[in-house]
Amino acid sequence: MSLTRHIEPEDLALFAMQLLGRDEARAVAGHVEECPDCRRQLAEVQGDLAVYAHAVDMHSPPALARERLMKQVAREKKVVPIERTPAETAFPNRTEQVFRTGLGSGAYLTEEEPQRSTLSKLAPWAGWAVAAGVAVTAWSFYHDRDALQDKLKSQASQIDRISADAAAAKQMLDAMTDPTAKHVTLVKAPASSTPPEPQGRATYVSEKGALIFLASNMEPLQPYKVYELWMIPADGRDPIPAGTFHPDERGNASVIMPPLPKGIEAKAFGVTVEDEGGSQTPTLPIILAGS
Amino acid sequence: MYRETGLVNASPQSSQDDGTLLALAKRGDEYAMASLFDRYSRVVYSVALRVLRDPASAEDILQEVFMQLWRSPDAFIATRGSLGGWLAVVSRNRSIDALRRKKPMEPVNELSLAAPFNLANEAERNNMMEKARGVIVKLPAEQRKTLEMAFFDGLTHSEIAEMTGDPLGTVKTRIRSALTTLRKAFQT
Repeated sequence: MSLTRHIEPEDLALFAMQLLGRDEARAVAGHVEECPDCRRQLAEVQGDLAVYAHAVDMHSPPALARERLMKQVAREKKVVPIERTPAETAFPNRTEQVFRTGLGSGAYLTEEEPQRSTLSKLAPWAGWAVAAGVAVTAWSFYHDRDALQDKLKSQASQIDRISADAAAAKQMLDAMTDPTAKHVTLVKAPASSTPPEPQGRATYVSEKGALIFLASNMEPLQPYKVYELWMIPADGRDPIPAGTFHPDERGNASVIMPPLPKGIEAKAFGVTVEDEGGSQTPTLPIILAGS
Repeated sequence: MYRETGLVNASPQSSQDDGTLLALAKRGDEYAMASLFDRYSRVVYSVALRVLRDPASAEDILQEVFMQLWRSPDAFIATRGSLGGWLAVVSRNRSIDALRRKKPMEPVNELSLAAPFNLANEAERNNMMEKARGVIVKLPAEQRKTLEMAFFDGLTHSEIAEMTGDPLGTVKTRIRSALTTLRKAFQT
């Protein structure tokens, strides 16, 4: 690698992943800075890596992570400078000349002289007019403030209620999906020592397209295989994929609120084993089924 | 371990695009920052968790990445590609740095990426994730494993070669081939 030769694509990939040694990385960085072609290729490799990163198994961050971030954000509030209008626009009615000469100059007084007689007639009333205007404005502000305060109280109460609901829902979801949670299925006391059968429980609200699926005693999968949940519509349409899942080491798994279309009545649900990444059509055999 | 395909951490999603939210965040709008967090926290956290395999450390990276975005949103500009992709790569790089217990190798504002995806759109993001998983699972096992060792475990090509017994050139070619396959799949 030198500054005169282009960087090999293999080395660009390693550079993008920060896997080159310090000297090699420095040489590549120097070349890339000067070479638009290699810079473009590097951006493409970074794009490939971004796609690859998105293929990772998705996990939600802990519920408190958002709160922690927002507290830190609030602690580091930004001070945004207020954009000031140019000083000239603050006095739109003054001519450039008046402004240039300024108060106290002889030229200014001379120019204002012809209007003084009219002003002197209106002067006694001007104070009352200003006072009345201020009183009306103050009264208006007072009522606006009251209305805004009421609205604020109402919205604050609404936000509190929504926050409490959201916190409760979040807590419930966290408990259901926590990998350390203990899932116990109560059944009739076993007569023999046969291993427990895999089973799943789906809760589905067709109107909202909301589905919660909890499974237990699921057998471990081979590498690069995944369980896939299917919703079988009542109107005879093809099965709709409703999320993929891996059981944990104790055989427990869940699919919570997968993206499903609303308003589709379900006739049954099923679980199959598919290749990692899921499938658009179920592959037999059906591991779990229920209607 | 299970994979979430649903909206477990969903909150009312902002319909504003990333550029608008970034501009608002730059002006100190905390709600815009919250919206960006809601949009991308899962991928940032998941990438960090995959690299570090420790929820507490992954959360630290999550905080670090988003605070960096809050402090200097200019580090990302629209010409650098998609914000979601950029955050995912930054999360990976910061996690690898944490894994190596060393200071960040490069400032993030030097990181540009070409990605023709609108990751701000949740449906498109989910489609892209599923498609990427589908492509990766079909890669030859040795390519998939080599890329995984390099990207998620932060192993250099020399370390991978030592561990697998493969020649250095083969390791490099496998990484390159895997990325090329991934790119071609999204160009068709």
